[in-house]
Amino acid sequence: MALSREIYQALEDIVGKRNISEDIGVCETYRSIPSQSSAHYGPSKTWTPLPQAVILPKTTEEVQNIVRICNKYKIEFKASTTFWSTMGHIGSDYAVQLDLRRMKSVTIDTKNMTAVIEPFAIAATVQAEAMKVGLNVSIPGVGCSSSTLASTAAWAGFGPGTIFMGSTPENLLGAEWVLPNGEVLRTGSHGSGDGWFCGEGPGPSQRGMLRGIFGTAGTSGVCTKMAVRLHPWPGPKDFPTRGTIPAYRAEFGDNLKAYTLCFPDWKAWARSVQFFHESDVLYLGHRQFSMFGRNLKAAMLRIISSADLQLSDLETVLADPEVQKQNESMKLDYQIVIAGMTKRDMEYKEKAIEYILEQTGGWKNEMVLEKELHDFVLLYMTRLGHKNLNYVMCGAYEGTFGLSSNVWKTIQVIEEAVEIKRNWELEHTHIAATGGDSAMGSTSGIGGGGATGWEFFTNFDSYEDESVEGTNKFMDGNQEFHNKYSFGPDFCRWNSDVRHMNGYNYTQEEHDALYINNPQPWVYAYQYKMRQAINPNNLCGSYFRTLTPSKLEEAEQAK
Amino acid sequence: MALKDYRAMMERCSSCAGCKFIPFDKIKSLRFGENCPSIGYYNFMTYSARGRFQIGQSVLDGRADLNDTVTEMIHSCTSCGACDVTCKVARYNLEPLEHNIELKAYAVERDRVLDGQKPVIENLKKENTMIPGTKKTNRTDWAKDLKLKDLFKEKGDVAFFPGCKYSYDEKLQKVAQSAVKLLQGAGVELGYMGAADNCCAGRAHQMGFYDEFKTKAAANIKAFEKAGVKTIITPCSDCYHAFKRQYARLGFEVEVLHVVEYVDRLIQEGKIKFTKSIPMTVTYHDPCHLGRLGEKFEPWNGKEKKILNQIQIWEPRRPRYNGANGVYDAPRNILKSIPGVRLAEMERIREYSWCCGAGGGCNESNPEFSSWTAGERITEANATGADALVTACPWCKDNFGKAVDEDGNKIEVLDVIELVQQAL
Repeated sequence: MALSREIYQALEDIVGKRNISEDIGVCETYRSIPSQSSAHYGPSKTWTPLPQAVILPKTTEEVQNIVRICNKYKIEFKASTTFWSTMGHIGSDYAVQLDLRRMKSVTIDTKNMTAVIEPFAIAATVQAEAMKVGLNVSIPGVGCSSSTLASTAAWAGFGPGTIFMGSTPENLLGAEWVLPNGEVLRTGSHGSGDGWFCGEGPGPSQRGMLRGIFGTAGTSGVCTKMAVRLHPWPGPKDFPTRGTIPAYRAEFGDNLKAYTLCFPDWKAWARSVQFFHESDVLYLGHRQFSMFGRNLKAAMLRIISSADLQLSDLETVLADPEVQKQNESMKLDYQIVIAGMTKRDMEYKEKAIEYILEQTGGWKNEMVLEKELHDFVLLYMTRLGHKNLNYVMCGAYEGTFGLSSNVWKTIQVIEEAVEIKRNWELEHTHIAATGGDSAMGSTSGIGGGGATGWEFFTNFDSYEDESVEGTNKFMDGNQEFHNKYSFGPDFCRWNSDVRHMNGYNYTQEEHDALYINNPQPWVYAYQYKMRQAINPNNLCGSYFRTLTPSKLEEAEQAK
Repeated sequence: MALKDYRAMMERCSSCAGCKFIPFDKIKSLRFGENCPSIGYYNFMTYSARGRFQIGQSVLDGRADLNDTVTEMIHSCTSCGACDVTCKVARYNLEPLEHNIELKAYAVERDRVLDGQKPVIENLKKENTMIPGTKKTNRTDWAKDLKLKDLFKEKGDVAFFPGCKYSYDEKLQKVAQSAVKLLQGAGVELGYMGAADNCCAGRAHQMGFYDEFKTKAAANIKAFEKAGVKTIITPCSDCYHAFKRQYARLGFEVEVLHVVEYVDRLIQEGKIKFTKSIPMTVTYHDPCHLGRLGEKFEPWNGKEKKILNQIQIWEPRRPRYNGANGVYDAPRNILKSIPGVRLAEMERIREYSWCCGAGGGCNESNPEFSSWTAGERITEANATGADALVTACPWCKDNFGKAVDEDGNKIEVLDVIELVQQAL
């Protein structure tokens, strides 16, 4: 059903002719296909529905007016920024897509160490502005090309910086939030007109309602502006990059160093991580290059840090005995960056690393101590500007297994997961054979240290139907592993109960049927009431999990 | 290749947003972090390289057609290649720029072109120039008073090829004339193509008019070969790219030099000496077709192969054009060697330079977009505090000369050769 002329005109009056389109070509480019982008419900070659119009608002007021029109005419709407993930796309036929690209300001408050940002301020630009005044922003593992506001308001954003700076949700301060019913709610200190510095008040907090633990992926309306906490950056005001594209590198000075730490077994690995969780030594910590797989990571590191090498050289590089030696050295590894706020602080941190390695039998990988590679890794880890490497080998990837848990729990099962993936790699051709272990992610998913936040990178060819279908089969099989340990849905299926494989929303009836059987159904019934309060017309898709309360009552009566 | 041959690339693009920004490691500010003029001006994601990959899929699948909006979108690309550079920071099997131009060719084949493109192409066909309103008969007027060998009539090793803009634009002709005198003064024996001097048609290729490009290229190659030309020297970055990359793709093997490369060489050899100081702070704009698109063509004939189940490689190894080996240092060396001149760099330089807006024929077909793009660059240039914006391409110079920054301010725009001339 196309938008009536009356509705389209009303929307056009809000943003102006230049900033709205219902052209088929324009709307086609706002569809997502989960085989080409990580969607967390499994790769599929089905496009999400075609929006009826795409709208580019510039201000909170414009967003509010658009949302009011949507409520008046019961039109689904969803806002997104960089449009990487399928999560930001609409899920029904009678829907409009909001593209918040025109909202991208960044205002730094140096004294209070905060940044007030708009949706299209990607992490790279927030970081660049923050670094000018000696501050930094927590960039989630998804990389600096992602919207800081989106991962803070609407999804789980942890990454290398989490251990020092907290995950992005932990950095949420005041927010300006257009509720799905069209009201504007200003949260935290911003809500009482006292500035942006605090998320909890004075003024309404509503952090739980805005985003909860994992975020509601745009189902809770549109966050148009927010403040995020910034953190000390003892490095240069901008990156003194050198080197030939794509192998840029940078030297930040004596107080910023990158290491790849390696361990003889998972137990030693976990002990070291625990040490770091307890010692406040790390600035960044991430199991980064294992994304290329246990068998390939040293070779891939050589390739991506070279201006001359490319994937076609992979087999040659793999055959190099020195690369093989380094690969073996970094089998059980992770990358760290330490930052000395003072000379003594740096000395302490260097000593602490040596002590931790001594206690755990670990070592620093030699290859990453080479100056040129060190400076590449340091820049890579600090900016996280290489998200597209997720796709470099095959054109597509999806995270699987997850294992985002206490490190001691994770290491008990990780080799079993490795074996499952490795066997699939050897027995089938659907996914890249990278060596089983491709567990990549933060050494700490929460600020200060704690649970890991991992996913096994599973690389497949989005162009080849057989590869896409086979990858789905592999992922289906992994669920048995998760069921065995009661881990819940596999990482690659986290969204499988909120969007169908055909790209469409779940209906309330479908959600009722699902969640009534959940061990804690009343949680979903409570969320239904939350939704009713701010989104009575249920207009933002089905990523917010709800259960009609009357169904719960009926079920209890039936017992 | 035809559009359908880009299908694998279309489906392997992951919507990472890289095509909208300069390489992330190079971002120094919010204001100058973006790279694509097209999405910068039009704002819809449709106008990014990702959007174009997606349009390609939609058109091939029949979900969208070449309606007026889609046609305008397809041609509203300056073919500057900025998207290509950032994409290739992390990808080895995507060619966004090639695809953007192929999409244009797909539209052109179906006669879906913009009104502003028609007189440009008509004039190319009729008068052998891509500047509407200009005539073939006036093409070599710029060379009247110069002692140049006529390579239409006699043989010669080195051809000076000014290109359309320097040939016809009276304000710019002086730059070409200065360049010739400069080279001759340093002892270089130059010729020009005389009656065979025609448009290189490189911009026709950028616009997707492949047939027109091929016809003109074939004629030019024949003329160069007949004259025995071994080296082409041009002050125009578009011509430079056309000869170095597009003609080379057709099998034309000749040394191609931009004037700045030759002048840099002559300065280093002591054959050009400066006698005057020019107390001026300047900033340098890298023309796209001299910089990131100025890399040498390397023939390749291979195919994709998969290893380790699904890892895609090229067999044999394929040349990679990512801007790493463009011409960046020669113009900077010249500027740094001129007494009194201080070079203040903008944030977006070298392979991740912002486009002037004239590329892809957009100055003719989409003048508002083109002017906005130039204005963005002037804003960036003025932010350096420079007295002048210096470049090495007549299309850039012309487009900058007409534009103003976000506050309505202009900046003096100079060609590198003009500064050299002043300092002699």
